[in-house]
Amino acid sequence: MRVTPGMTADNAVYNLQQGRVALDSLQEQIASGSVINRPSDDPLSTRQLLDLQEQISAGDQYSSNITKASLLLNVTDTALTGMSGLMQQVKKIAGDMVSGTLDASSISGAVTSLTQLKGQMIDLANTQIGNQYIFAGFKNSQPFDTTTGAFSGTGDALNLEIANGSTVATNISGGNLLRGGIPAAAVGSGATAGGSPVDILGSIEALILAISGQDTAGIVDGAKNMKAAAEQIVAAQTDVAGRLVRLSNMQSLIDSNQNTLKSIFGDMQNVDYAKVGVQLSQQTTAFNAALSTTAKLSQLSLLDYMR
Amino acid sequence: MGIGTIFDIASSGIAAQRLAIEVTGENIANVNTAGYSRQQVVMENKPVTTANGFGLGTGVQIATVRRSYDGMLQLQIVNGNSSYQENLAKQSALEQIEPSFNELASDGLGKAVENFFGAWQDLSANPSGTAERQALLSRSQILVDTFHQMDSRLASVAQTADNNLVGITAEVTDNARNLALVNTQILATQSVGGNANELLDQRDLLLQKLSEKVGITSTLASDGTASVTLPGGEQLVSGTGYATLYTNATGVPPTNDIMLSGIGNPPPANVPATDTVVATVGGGDALSGSLGGTLQIRDSVVPGYLAKLDEMASELVSAVNTAHAAGYGLDGTTGNDFFDAAGVTSGSIALDGALTATKIGAALPVPVTDPAPTSSGNNVNALALAALKSSSVAFSTGGATFAGFFRAMVGEVGVDTQGAQNVTAQGGAFLKQLNALRSSNSSVSLDEELTNLTKYQRAFQGSAKVINAATDMLDIVLGMVR
Repeated sequence: MRVTPGMTADNAVYNLQQGRVALDSLQEQIASGSVINRPSDDPLSTRQLLDLQEQISAGDQYSSNITKASLLLNVTDTALTGMSGLMQQVKKIAGDMVSGTLDASSISGAVTSLTQLKGQMIDLANTQIGNQYIFAGFKNSQPFDTTTGAFSGTGDALNLEIANGSTVATNISGGNLLRGGIPAAAVGSGATAGGSPVDILGSIEALILAISGQDTAGIVDGAKNMKAAAEQIVAAQTDVAGRLVRLSNMQSLIDSNQNTLKSIFGDMQNVDYAKVGVQLSQQTTAFNAALSTTAKLSQLSLLDYMR
Repeated sequence: MGIGTIFDIASSGIAAQRLAIEVTGENIANVNTAGYSRQQVVMENKPVTTANGFGLGTGVQIATVRRSYDGMLQLQIVNGNSSYQENLAKQSALEQIEPSFNELASDGLGKAVENFFGAWQDLSANPSGTAERQALLSRSQILVDTFHQMDSRLASVAQTADNNLVGITAEVTDNARNLALVNTQILATQSVGGNANELLDQRDLLLQKLSEKVGITSTLASDGTASVTLPGGEQLVSGTGYATLYTNATGVPPTNDIMLSGIGNPPPANVPATDTVVATVGGGDALSGSLGGTLQIRDSVVPGYLAKLDEMASELVSAVNTAHAAGYGLDGTTGNDFFDAAGVTSGSIALDGALTATKIGAALPVPVTDPAPTSSGNNVNALALAALKSSSVAFSTGGATFAGFFRAMVGEVGVDTQGAQNVTAQGGAFLKQLNALRSSNSSVSLDEELTNLTKYQRAFQGSAKVINAATDMLDIVLGMVR
């Protein structure tokens, strides 16, 4: 094939251009730290990477939901622990009343204590985080009347999504917890005393009436009811603790999932600097050689040797 | 046979070598001229006489100045140019589109959709929260803005393509006029028996230029003139006449149709009503060249992506509105749209005009406990809307989540761009090879010309020496007489 200087020049330009393109692409990879910088670099991997990205950010969202759910449940747990302590005192007073003598001073002392304990119970049941009442269900107003203890919230579970299609309730219904249901359950007496569910606030009220009325049978019923009430609170505590364990398990599952996803993403997308470095040095050598030969060859001419 | 014959032979040599040096000079001068084919002098000896008893030539003469040229290669270059330019036009448009879909480098529509549903998740954790409601509103606005942005970027690529048609058709017409002019000159030169080599080079170069703009079929007549037809069979150049290729904006919004006037020199004025229609919207796929590529961008590539984007916007609006209308806002209203129900394209999607933070329907009736939601803590509908993120929507391409549908679009843009880049690179390499073959055959080599120059120069010197010798001989003969 006949080769002219023009062809040599064209080829030199073309080959230098190819070398520049290769260098440019390596430089882009090193600068961005990413192997795939635009969809056309590798359309299939792009889809996989975007898939991974979506799963990772979904994990972040679930993680943030779990944090919020944990906060709500932990506050609920604290309130329940307080209630449980109060119930111990109520139970003790009821027990003392059953076995002790009913003189005027002990009656008035017990009535005062029980009234205050009931008030504290209602205060705990009206616990808030920010503007949210944790025992009010869907309602966003004070759920328990501070004097009568009447429940005005709802019994709905405030669900949060903690994994795809999986929700956890972040609250305990105040009505079910302290009134034995919505509307309030009947106060147990006689044969039904100590049955479940217990209208805790109603039963304390009944106990106060029985003590002040020196109704021995009523006090015995009240003591039975208080025992069941304490169990009812403990049951709620156990329920909340179980959900917290579930949240923490889910959190660690998400964490390990995120780790796996991120490492797959990294494997696909992160530049192996050692490899690219070697490629860059190879490419630079080749490009240098191309520049050098181009400079030499383009100078060659018969004119230099003609007089 | 006398000394005079020696003069004749030597002077024919001088004349021939001088002409050869002229041709060599012409070649050297045009070493960098695009489309120039090197010329070679073909010498032959003059008729033989037998005046001195045996046959002897009477000197040298130039038989022809030959143009190194391969018609087959020219044809292949013309065809290669058309498809290369077609793909190049598509590649450059796709490379403009691709950044809008580059979710790898920056957050785009995919991220906006994800954030939108994430905001519903956040709202479900605190359905009465003003901050959560406001965050949802602003993320929704970002989603809407992102749709608008992608729509306008795609639309501007189509608009640019449409505008480019004006320049491309003008260049085609310009080249057609020049070709008709060269045809005229070729005829004129040949009518006086001249050598039209340079004109033929110009003719071939013009054909190549035409083929970059639009696919052409050229026919070379025996007189050296070229006629050109477009892919649809329309005559662009015929002998010394040519037609005007022009654009005619019609419709709303105006888009350019490609029109061809009648043949003439100059051609008759453009009459869009009666002139030949070469391509209307959607009909330019076969035109090839940068004209065909540009029409495909305007009529199929961009509208294809836009249709998908519109479908996504429309499905999103209807799915979110259906779920949202069932919900109850903080103010107790229900049946509210979230997005404007009339905005079902990526360009017109918008939040409902009446939507406010309190109207966001996070609540859903719960039997018995909350039949007509008045509870601000009701998050049932917020959960349902957040769940739309992972629910499958029946798109025209099959069921997919919103994010999944968009990812498929990103993949499609990637495949299209990569495909266009690959085809263009291959076309470029093929064209480079063809041009190398053409150069190998036709382009000027300085080394060769310099060698030839020396050769002809020495021959010129030789012939001059012969004249010297003849002069000496003549002097001697005349001296004998004196």
